[in-house]
Amino acid sequence: MPFSALDSAAVARALAQLVAGPEDLVDAYFERQEVVAVPPDGEPPGVRIWRDDGLAVRLVREDRSFLASRDEVSRGAFEEALRQVARARPRTMAPLPPLGAGAWPAEDDLTPLKQAPRGVVRQLRERRLAFPLRLTVRRHRRWLQVVSPQLVPAAQAERWYSWQADLPWGTSGGLLAELGRAAAEEMATALAASFRARDAAPPAPGRVPLVLAPAAAAVFLHEAVAHALEVDTLALGGTPQAALGVRLGSAGLDVVDDPAAAPADLRRSSDDEGCAVTARWLLRAGVVEQVLADRLWARRSTALAPGAARRSHRHVPPAPRSLYLRLLPGVATLEELLAAAPGGLFLDAAERGRLDPLGGSFSLRFPHAQRIGEAGLGEPLGPCVLRGRVAELLQRVTAVGAETRVAGAGWCAKGGQRLPVWAEAPALLLAEAEVT
Amino acid sequence: MNDLDRAEEVLEQLAGGGGDAEVYLKEGRGRRFSLSPEGELCHFVQEQGWAVRAGDGRCSFFVAASGPPRPRGPWPEPDGYPLRLPDAVEPAPWREPAEVESPLLGEREGVALLAAIAEALARELPGARLRGALLEDGSSVSTLASTQGVRARWRQRLAALRLLARRGDSPVEVSLERAEREARRFHPGALASALADRLAAVDAGAPPPRDRGDMVLAPPVVARLLAHLAPLWLGPEAAERAAALGERTRLAAAAVTLVDDGRLPEGLLSAPVDGEGVPTREVVLIEAGGFRQPLVAWWQRGAWQSSGCAARPSWRDLPLPGPTHLYLRPDPAVRAGALLAAISRGYYLLDTRGPGWCDLRTGRFALPVCGFAIRDGRAQAPLGAAWLVGGVAALLRGIQAVARDLAFSSLGGMIGAPTVVATGLEVRRAPG
Repeated sequence: MPFSALDSAAVARALAQLVAGPEDLVDAYFERQEVVAVPPDGEPPGVRIWRDDGLAVRLVREDRSFLASRDEVSRGAFEEALRQVARARPRTMAPLPPLGAGAWPAEDDLTPLKQAPRGVVRQLRERRLAFPLRLTVRRHRRWLQVVSPQLVPAAQAERWYSWQADLPWGTSGGLLAELGRAAAEEMATALAASFRARDAAPPAPGRVPLVLAPAAAAVFLHEAVAHALEVDTLALGGTPQAALGVRLGSAGLDVVDDPAAAPADLRRSSDDEGCAVTARWLLRAGVVEQVLADRLWARRSTALAPGAARRSHRHVPPAPRSLYLRLLPGVATLEELLAAAPGGLFLDAAERGRLDPLGGSFSLRFPHAQRIGEAGLGEPLGPCVLRGRVAELLQRVTAVGAETRVAGAGWCAKGGQRLPVWAEAPALLLAEAEVT
Repeated sequence: MNDLDRAEEVLEQLAGGGGDAEVYLKEGRGRRFSLSPEGELCHFVQEQGWAVRAGDGRCSFFVAASGPPRPRGPWPEPDGYPLRLPDAVEPAPWREPAEVESPLLGEREGVALLAAIAEALARELPGARLRGALLEDGSSVSTLASTQGVRARWRQRLAALRLLARRGDSPVEVSLERAEREARRFHPGALASALADRLAAVDAGAPPPRDRGDMVLAPPVVARLLAHLAPLWLGPEAAERAAALGERTRLAAAAVTLVDDGRLPEGLLSAPVDGEGVPTREVVLIEAGGFRQPLVAWWQRGAWQSSGCAARPSWRDLPLPGPTHLYLRPDPAVRAGALLAAISRGYYLLDTRGPGWCDLRTGRFALPVCGFAIRDGRAQAPLGAAWLVGGVAALLRGIQAVARDLAFSSLGGMIGAPTVVATGLEVRRAPG
């Protein structure tokens, strides 16, 4: 842990100098991030490493926030940031001990990362597939320590992987909780589906039943449920608390944001503001029970609980976002879901979605589809877009699969912050939804 | 010790291992001011980082990190890919823009500027209000040194503004983006007027299901289209792509001359060298409608003339060929108003409402736009939330005239265009 030697008590005392009233919110955010990438075959330079650490100090007073961020963890950088957010030297500044993030660990074994592309190619060969492929695999590690005058939670650490494939007919990619044979299979399966549908005609526009595989359901839930219930999104259309108690989805939908239930390397006990995370029931039997909120919004209403703040790096303020969504499983097998959707579409992957926070319209793009025939899955089809209003689409969920899978819902880019988002979801059946 | 000395120190340590190496340092300071439903934010940011590329004909590595450079590493084991770096070439004489010396916007100035825009908007269009704003004012210093003899240091200054506005309880909002050398050049009245035009264009109108006509495209619309098309002109394969789009000698209408220039006078990203230390220059990609040459980096040049076009927006980024100031050359003799006045039936599209999409494989694009229907040279009715839909080849061949009002948008490099008149495109209610 890079911040294990950080004198958090001294930092907390220094932050306390900025507090002028009980409503003031003050915190310091120390972070370290590392990305290691193995580039596509033959592409210089070879192994690529990004190592990044720094700090940010924040003061929120009434409706005004002040943030100062630095690319360095040191006493000087912290004191300067403190002065900038105070916009004056604090009245009495206790001397601070030296601050630092500790040395970077010695280089660890990158062999699994380097072998991952070869594993994918091997998997493709086993499926008798070969096509030009530029595959980049990255390992991401992140450590953070939040300190506020009243609160010093445990330091947090995360590790995950991402991949991106440039193909002659487009790009494909995703997030992985871990590397290994299962991950290679997952990447190869996605690439094979993309290859098979590369020249396929898109499905005819119309209203058809849809079966979303767990990976596609993960993206759908992130875009349609999580984004719709982020307090900053809700505030664009009115009072966020007004969403509580509203029926947003069908009775079969139980959706929980639960960062503490994530796989071990992603698991969190506190959010990016240092607040304890909780199992946050966004939808219980389709009804909104809680929304995603951070400390800034929680100051304004007791109905809003903090603990869902995230920030992609220190140079941006935290914002309410989901981290690990769970859609509780139903009872249907995939075969039963497909049997209930003859003539419909099976969607095994989803790309980017868009939610209009003011009008409520929603769209989600799928890179390819597959026809559902009487005898099961039929021919591959090209890209298509699911369109509708969020509540209308969520109320069209008529069955939920029994078998859940952990899936990366992808990189969320809302508000200029690029954050990895995750979900644990089963397959879903949507009755008669509009596809173009 | 200055930045170049620091870079030299790192090179010295790396040179001990043999092979080639390059050190890139970047420092920046900035102020950000934003208005949003969360309230008002004032952000003071200081960034500092460095990157090293090192290797030989067999293997190499890339390391980037925040803070001051660490000459003694530790450096990772080079991997199985070769590295080539450009030889040093003396750039043409360069004069730094005067604005790099001017102080960044102060807290009160930033907040006052946003408040002034909000007040001007409310005056310009009753019921209109600023729903969000982000103002950034920053400066940076980049330093580059390599074992090939490259030694370069350049400074840049950039201010960017993004505004979001709504009228009353309308569910439609519009945005406006502008960039300048420094934030003090933003004029609240002009910005409010541009926002009011856009709100008026989307608020009351209902776009036709599908219609053609002469399209007068304002600079932000053309810039967005050019940004979508930019990959077509990159790399040695661009010649084949251009050939596939039409006859090689007449790829586009005669009014189309497309240029990229990394040292454009008054250009916001202008610098004497690119992210690899290669001198920047003007490159004409399409001249009077005919394909002339692609945009290629030094290591891609082949039969083409290369230019310093390796973009390196931050110390985290590997240098990547791309446009710096890519623009459609304006016609200094033509006023935008004259183009508009000559339209008997068509549309004047003011701005985009989002990025839209362009599929370069199928050659089709759709842009969400706002604007007005035009009859006999005058705005007849707002168009509402419409889409501009068409084909890439038809767009390039359909540009009939260009005006002189060149303006740039920040779209992954600065992309610029004047107002143009285009035919062969459609306005639709939905992207289709």
